[in-house]
Amino acid sequence: MTILWFLFKEGFKGLLRSKYSGAFSIIIIAISIIMVGFGYIIARDTLFMVENIRSQFDVDIFILTTAGSDDIAVFDKKLRRMNEIDRVIYISPEIAAEKFKKEFGEDILDILDYNPLPPSFTISLKPIYRNLMSVEAIANILQRDSVVDEVKYRKNFLIILEKYQRIILVCVLIVFAFLTLISIILTSNSIKMTIFARRDIILTMKLIGATNRFVKTPFVIEGTLEGGLGALLAGLIIYGIIYVQNTYLQSFFNYTLIVSYQYYIGLLLLGSFLGWIGSRQAIRRFL
Amino acid sequence: MISFINATCSFRKNAGVKNLNFSIDDGEFVFLTGPSGAGKSTLLRLIYMDLFPEKGKVLIRDYDSGKIKDRQIPFLRRKVGMIFQDFQLLKDRNVYQNVAISLYASHYKIREIKSRVYDILNQVGLGHRVHHKPTELSGGEQQRVAIARALVKEPIVLLADEPTGNLDPRVSIELMNLLHKINKKGTAVIVATHNYSLIKRVPGARLIQMNDGEIASIT
Repeated sequence: MTILWFLFKEGFKGLLRSKYSGAFSIIIIAISIIMVGFGYIIARDTLFMVENIRSQFDVDIFILTTAGSDDIAVFDKKLRRMNEIDRVIYISPEIAAEKFKKEFGEDILDILDYNPLPPSFTISLKPIYRNLMSVEAIANILQRDSVVDEVKYRKNFLIILEKYQRIILVCVLIVFAFLTLISIILTSNSIKMTIFARRDIILTMKLIGATNRFVKTPFVIEGTLEGGLGALLAGLIIYGIIYVQNTYLQSFFNYTLIVSYQYYIGLLLLGSFLGWIGSRQAIRRFL
Repeated sequence: MISFINATCSFRKNAGVKNLNFSIDDGEFVFLTGPSGAGKSTLLRLIYMDLFPEKGKVLIRDYDSGKIKDRQIPFLRRKVGMIFQDFQLLKDRNVYQNVAISLYASHYKIREIKSRVYDILNQVGLGHRVHHKPTELSGGEQQRVAIARALVKEPIVLLADEPTGNLDPRVSIELMNLLHKINKKGTAVIVATHNYSLIKRVPGARLIQMNDGEIASIT
């Protein structure tokens, strides 16, 4: 118990003793966490935006005008039973005519004296099936049904979306990995400098018969604390930036930044982890 | 207690030590003398296993330089006290903390640490300087803190590498008297020095004269 208490106390005191180098480390860690933190927000919102575009993708199924209401009801049930389908909307010829009127401002019955619009279904697929391969397969199955006249969807939209989504995903992952790597290097180096400035303590400790673990533990505790404090500082700065963006610049950029409290906890854990791993790596060189 | 058996340890830039063969018994007082570069510090570093001989071996009680594992070295160093010319005190800690750290590293209980530290600081005459930082002490006092730190864990031998190098003659004599007193209580003391006038202060001490990494004479 004595030894544990001593090591923790040494870790906390080490942070106070390190003064400028410790403060410098905390600032460097904060910068690293801000980079990773905003990297995450950009990655998340970019992918969310792509997914949002994808979620607007619908498939229209036009029914033969000769199909009876019973056939349509059977087909409706069939659609609702399909695992791949998230949402089914039936559009009767009357509703289609209303939509036409809304869109074009004229009543189709006044123009043609009859309603030529066929009954149709608009279906939304579950997110995992919103890709070209699945959509094509589902469209083929539906097309074979005797009541179906035509299945329509924006094929080119899906092709372009998939192509760009892959590029965006790779870019986002590269940027995020790069920022994470930079933050690990910066954190490790700044902690290394803090330890280097106090290498005489390590030398003295070793001379008096301290084990490597005894020498290492206070520095690792100190590094973890520096990481946590760096993350806290980063969290405050990110919170401030988000506040300014959402309060004063939201209308200008037409963009609202939303992060949950779990995000800040994540930053705190990330900072502490970076401090922990960085100090473990750094102290190894001096033992 | 300490045996050098054909121990040779050389460096790229200087000779180190060659073919050392001698033993030191429990409770002995030994002076190592010789000019700078004679190998005195190397010999001491071989004892606390900061260096290892490339030929021969060094035995300190049960510890054999040829067989000792890295994780055993801290346990050897708890039995060997060391003091240096530059004191090697932690400047950001007070006298009490500088001495106590030695016991914390050896996993002593807090109550025992307190009583041992106050006891040893009184013995070296620093009972009134407990809360001072090393920078607030004179050279002699700093060296006494270093001695207290070395002795508090009750080592079998105290190694002193030019302990009076930074001290004036009067304080050097006081320090030598203190080391003599410690030796009389049963701790072996090995002092590396080129200050021959100090040797006279300890009657009956063994004198090992070194030259160019070899033992020139033992008297």
